[in-house]
Amino acid sequence: MEKAIGRKTGIYSASAVKHASLIALALLAVFPLYWMVVTSLKPESEVFTSSLIPLHLTFENYVQAWNAVPMDRMLANSMVVAVIQTVMQLITSILAAYAFTRWEFRGSNLIYGLIALTWLVPFQVIMIPNYVAISGFGWRDHLAGLIVPNIASAFAVLQLYNAFKSYPKTLIEAARLDGASDWGVLWRTIMPNLKAPVASIGILLFITSWNDYFWPLLVTTKLENTTIQKGLQMFISSDGNMWGALMAATTIASLPVLIIYLLLQRQIIDSFVKGGLK
Amino acid sequence: MSYEAVGMARHAAEAKPKSKERKPFLPRLGRIKPYMYLLPALISIGFWIYKPLLQTFELSVYQWNLLPTSPKQFVGIKNFANLFGLPEMGIALWNTLIYTLGVIPFSLILPLVIAIATDNIGRKASGFYRALIFLPMIMAPVAVSSVWRWIMHPTNGILNKTLTDWFHLSEPIRFFTDERWAIWSITFITGWKLIGFSTLIFSAALTGINKEYIEAAKIDRASRFQIIWHIILPLLSPTILFMAMMSTLFASEWSFSYINVLTQGGPFNTTTNIYYLLWTYGFQSFNIGASSAAAVVFFLGFGVLAWLFMKLSRKLSFFDN
Repeated sequence: MEKAIGRKTGIYSASAVKHASLIALALLAVFPLYWMVVTSLKPESEVFTSSLIPLHLTFENYVQAWNAVPMDRMLANSMVVAVIQTVMQLITSILAAYAFTRWEFRGSNLIYGLIALTWLVPFQVIMIPNYVAISGFGWRDHLAGLIVPNIASAFAVLQLYNAFKSYPKTLIEAARLDGASDWGVLWRTIMPNLKAPVASIGILLFITSWNDYFWPLLVTTKLENTTIQKGLQMFISSDGNMWGALMAATTIASLPVLIIYLLLQRQIIDSFVKGGLK
Repeated sequence: MSYEAVGMARHAAEAKPKSKERKPFLPRLGRIKPYMYLLPALISIGFWIYKPLLQTFELSVYQWNLLPTSPKQFVGIKNFANLFGLPEMGIALWNTLIYTLGVIPFSLILPLVIAIATDNIGRKASGFYRALIFLPMIMAPVAVSSVWRWIMHPTNGILNKTLTDWFHLSEPIRFFTDERWAIWSITFITGWKLIGFSTLIFSAALTGINKEYIEAAKIDRASRFQIIWHIILPLLSPTILFMAMMSTLFASEWSFSYINVLTQGGPFNTTTNIYYLLWTYGFQSFNIGASSAAAVVFFLGFGVLAWLFMKLSRKLSFFDN
């Protein structure tokens, strides 16, 4: 009897340790974001207190942040860049993944290898020639300069190739026998069945593009031509003490990604972890 | 881009599987068809990744200041010869080592401990925790910098206020401007973003291993420590090695945004690293030759490192096959 109880409490305490360590990790992860939102909702007199909830809820920081920088322009720029980039990356990589799965052709392994190996090329190694190219096209401070260099994503090609591989070859053959063209097979036979993986890759591409900071930092200078990330960085370095407004601006800049995450966190986590783990 | 690399590396480690069947006859148009489908992606990747990579190699033997009107001057291997005498190179290399080692607790050790300790926690609870601990991963680096700058502010930040209350510090810690603290603050933020992601990677790998080994060991009265040391860790070794490779190759790149937003390499260059150095050579001192030569050396160096890691992981991945 006693032994049984001891055993049971042993199990309970083991599970308590599990939960305690996960709660600690979760708090570490979430507290900064919580603090960001809370600070942004506090009136100026309260920002410098350590109170964990805003005692007098206010949106004046959001108004202040919105008026301090051309927030609407930067958000619109970010949205345009992220959406176009995501769509272009999906299209180019769907076509490429289809080529790899559909046909056996000379050099396919070499081409696949060249695409796969791009992960070894850090941004900072190629930034100068790319900057020169963008300047040559006259695309500095221009949305084209932000979008065009990123219309293909090697990551998306490889992820989609994996998704395409799982599509049964016999169904493709059947569609061929029914007289479908290669183009028709791709868009009418394969794609309707791969909506889920394509959507989750698309979400990852959108988040990556929305969060990107290096490239806008390099090719844009004026606030009204840049994305929200670069704008936020300029806000950070411009003024030392508008913490409420800065946290409001940070919240605004993070909002689209946070909303997507709130709605689709399962798929996002799964595709990140799968991407990292195959 | 850099976080995507985690996914890319996995694919790159294994070549595209070859299917042996060959079609006996291919019509003319059919022959070029796959290339037509590949063309958009190939043009973009070729033009924006491989062409600039070659250009960086080319620029490394010239002296140039980025002005289109000023001529490039051929200097041979002089840029390479001068490389390690350049100002800040020594400290940047040293800091790169600190970042690389400093991120390991967040990318490897703590996630591994937490993942093993919390295995089998139940589906519902694990889904809840997963959603929370993954959150930092999807946040933009600039937003992350902004929030931590506020939390770690010397006089008004909540961290210093709490530390002062608890430990009665004589003066607040200047996390980003004190040269003893700055690099550790940046390392911590880099690690903070990574720790949840790594934990989930290890948890997923743990779920994937065959539980029969552990059951068998339990029947043989193996202790929990023995099971972890002799069964779980060896079975996880491919994942451990993979995360070790990613954190070695990318720790410095991941810290770039935090350096640029929070410290600009200071105070007294104590937070600069090799990637930040490429940036300052290129776009602050406009020494394109030095930046390109350094880029070539680091690119090749990291390439060799990646190759070694992959060789090692092939050697180790015979487990459980």
